[in-house]
Amino acid sequence: MLPIDIENLSKTYSVKRGRKVLALDNLTLQVDQGEILGFLGPNGSGKSTTIKTLVGQIRATQGKASIFGQPVRDSNCRQRVGYLPENPAFYDFLTSHQYLDLVGSTFGMDANHLRTESDRVLDLLDLHHADRRPIRSYSKGMVQRLGLAQALLHDPDLYILDEPMSGLDPLGRALVKQIIVDLKHRGKTVFFSTHVTADVEAVCDRVAVIVSGKLQAVNLVSELLEKGIEGYVIQLSGGSEQLCAGFEMNLREDSLREVFVQRRDLNRFMGDVSRDNGEILLMEPRRRDLEQFFLDIVRREKE
Amino acid sequence: MLFLVPSFSSFSMRQVQELAITLSLSTISMVLLVMTLLLGSSSIWRDIERRHTASILTLPISRDSYLLAKFLSIAIFIVLAGVVLAAAAAVMISLAATQYPSDLPLAWGNIVLAIGADVLKYLLLSAVAVFFSAVSTSFYLPFFATLVVYLAGSASQEVFEYVSGQFAQQIDPAQVAVIKGVYYLLPNFSAFDFKVHAVYALQVSSQAFLFPLCYAIVYGGIVLGAAVWVFNRRELP
Amino acid sequence: MIRRGIFATFLLVYGFLVLPFADFMADRPLEVKLGYLPHPQLLKILSADHDLIVAQSAVVKVLFYYGTIVGHFMENVIIRPEHANMYRTLQTATQLDPYNMDAYYFAQAAFTWQLERIDEVNTLLEHGAKYRTWDPWINFYLGFNHAYFLKDYGRAAVYLQRAGELAPENALFSRLAARYYYESDQTKTGLAFLEAMIAEAKDGAVKQTYTVRRDALLAVFALERAQASFVAKVGRQPKSLDELLQTGFLQRIPKDPYGGKFYLDENYRVRSTSKLAGDNL
Repeated sequence: MLPIDIENLSKTYSVKRGRKVLALDNLTLQVDQGEILGFLGPNGSGKSTTIKTLVGQIRATQGKASIFGQPVRDSNCRQRVGYLPENPAFYDFLTSHQYLDLVGSTFGMDANHLRTESDRVLDLLDLHHADRRPIRSYSKGMVQRLGLAQALLHDPDLYILDEPMSGLDPLGRALVKQIIVDLKHRGKTVFFSTHVTADVEAVCDRVAVIVSGKLQAVNLVSELLEKGIEGYVIQLSGGSEQLCAGFEMNLREDSLREVFVQRRDLNRFMGDVSRDNGEILLMEPRRRDLEQFFLDIVRREKE
Repeated sequence: MLFLVPSFSSFSMRQVQELAITLSLSTISMVLLVMTLLLGSSSIWRDIERRHTASILTLPISRDSYLLAKFLSIAIFIVLAGVVLAAAAAVMISLAATQYPSDLPLAWGNIVLAIGADVLKYLLLSAVAVFFSAVSTSFYLPFFATLVVYLAGSASQEVFEYVSGQFAQQIDPAQVAVIKGVYYLLPNFSAFDFKVHAVYALQVSSQAFLFPLCYAIVYGGIVLGAAVWVFNRRELP
Repeated sequence: MIRRGIFATFLLVYGFLVLPFADFMADRPLEVKLGYLPHPQLLKILSADHDLIVAQSAVVKVLFYYGTIVGHFMENVIIRPEHANMYRTLQTATQLDPYNMDAYYFAQAAFTWQLERIDEVNTLLEHGAKYRTWDPWINFYLGFNHAYFLKDYGRAAVYLQRAGELAPENALFSRLAARYYYESDQTKTGLAFLEAMIAEAKDGAVKQTYTVRRDALLAVFALERAQASFVAKVGRQPKSLDELLQTGFLQRIPKDPYGGKFYLDENYRVRSTSKLAGDNL
């Protein structure tokens, strides 16, 4: 039973004067138990359409989607889901405690359990100082953190988070990343959308890239990072001048040289160094990072 | 407004008690109408507009129960308001009645029935308002559409009887058919009007209130069912 | 699936309920329908600047109500319409909006012929004449009522004269005024009035009231003419309408549109068993 199973999902919106816009084009995507999947795409690429379909806010034109084997049209399928909407808005006349009570009751949590869990998530997201204030007095970042708190409240198995890091300060972002990593350690599944590649790099097991409604790539993040190594920056002292001929080179100090060696030239270069009695002080891989990877896909799709 | 009833009633020299009842019932009806219009027509679309639905309806709550709960909260409010207003009206009517005794008895049962039927009428109207709220994206459609349904539903009986009478022959038959069709489609609010019974202490047959009661339940059920149907098909932000 | 079932059940029940419900609504006692309006002065305060529309809606209410009961007049069914309430509602309307012609027009149509509430109607019309100073018709109604119903030809002539002055192009007013100065042929003046009203009438119920009344008067007029020629030729009153038939003064006895039968009373006046809907209303 996959946490999320999306098959051939398409969605067309009719806009003014009968014109149709294809927001989602035959998307197929599976999220496995216990993984963190980053859903990466530029604005307007269909991330939100996918997520809204998953949580039953809109109907797909074609295809099907299910959560733990239950079709997403059934509101019961969300019993095991914690959902954070993009830029969430809550009944702002309630306090965060009252709101969590409301959320907890829809998951059938009993009063005692609800109390301790509310305290736990409010503590976790650093909202305890404000839990007796109506939500309308909250800052944007606090509302975002409350959104995460209500998603965590009933300790679900699957988290669907729409832009969880948006509207947060660096401290908040770090906190959210830490929470996501902790969830993974506890065997939970997280599916989150973002347009920030660094977030994916920091926490995700896999990344799915969507552009213009089409799924472009699904990759293991570790694989991408490995494949992305272009060469190495090597600092060395000693050895002859010849050694570095044909490489990009900076002279750091008199005896210290820094060379960029392509991946394919590494073995040859290392042989040369040992033959020439050079001494390697530092060696660092230089990667084409995820951002580059992402930009390449977007560029290719646009062309 | 209700507090002015005893003093206003003395305008009528002959029938102070009757006028007190009329005024009380009209005031209650007016207050409940305003309440129904405002509550009903600011109901569901506002949650959508403020994106509260994105946080509420993504919990394991079905749209059916959300919509019915919205209706129920308005209904409870209207019923409570009806009870409070009825209590106030009872005080005012007995004050006016003791000032200038009438030859007609005070039919408290009828007065309660008239207010109860009025409340029932506004429950039905709020179901209509909730329906329009579930379709709409702004205040205007539910407010004005509900108001129009209210006015048309209050007048439909008279118009229907007029075109069913002898003079239908002079009106274009197609027009008569349309009017009759609209009559069956619209809620018939004149069935809930027991004001004359209350004012003149007329006998009310059991059929006279059982019929409207069944009618309200069935018609309200259909309207709410239709509201659930459209709302389930609606795309939410 | 269950939801669909519930919805279908509701629809089905509505289908079964709606026709009996409509019948039930149509059969409700009549006094329930016209309702009750508060005292005019109070209503004036309550209706704020909407007094004109409140007045008009009161008149329309009465018109609708009248439309539903006028059918029963024709079938000669004895019912008790709320005449007092109708009159009171119209009066309230004219208090709110003394210029509302519909109220006067309707009072004239509904309360004179059948109900013979001439004094009440005249009071209402006098009230209107104070405001509608340009209107020949109110004066025309007043003149007609005084002449035809009250037999006060002097005052009738004054009203009709005023109507003629207000509408010099309408020959009817001055013709009637002249007639009231010189003669008092009831049936003919009644007919002239009814023809004028039928030509003017727009509302179906009102038009029908006048048309039926005109048909009745035409029948009476035909009988009276035959009777007059019998008296002129034979030199005595006929014993019955049948005698007019037998002697060939009359081809056939016309039908009473109110459903009665015509006869001659002891004073040799043409009457009908329906009393021309005169007193069962």
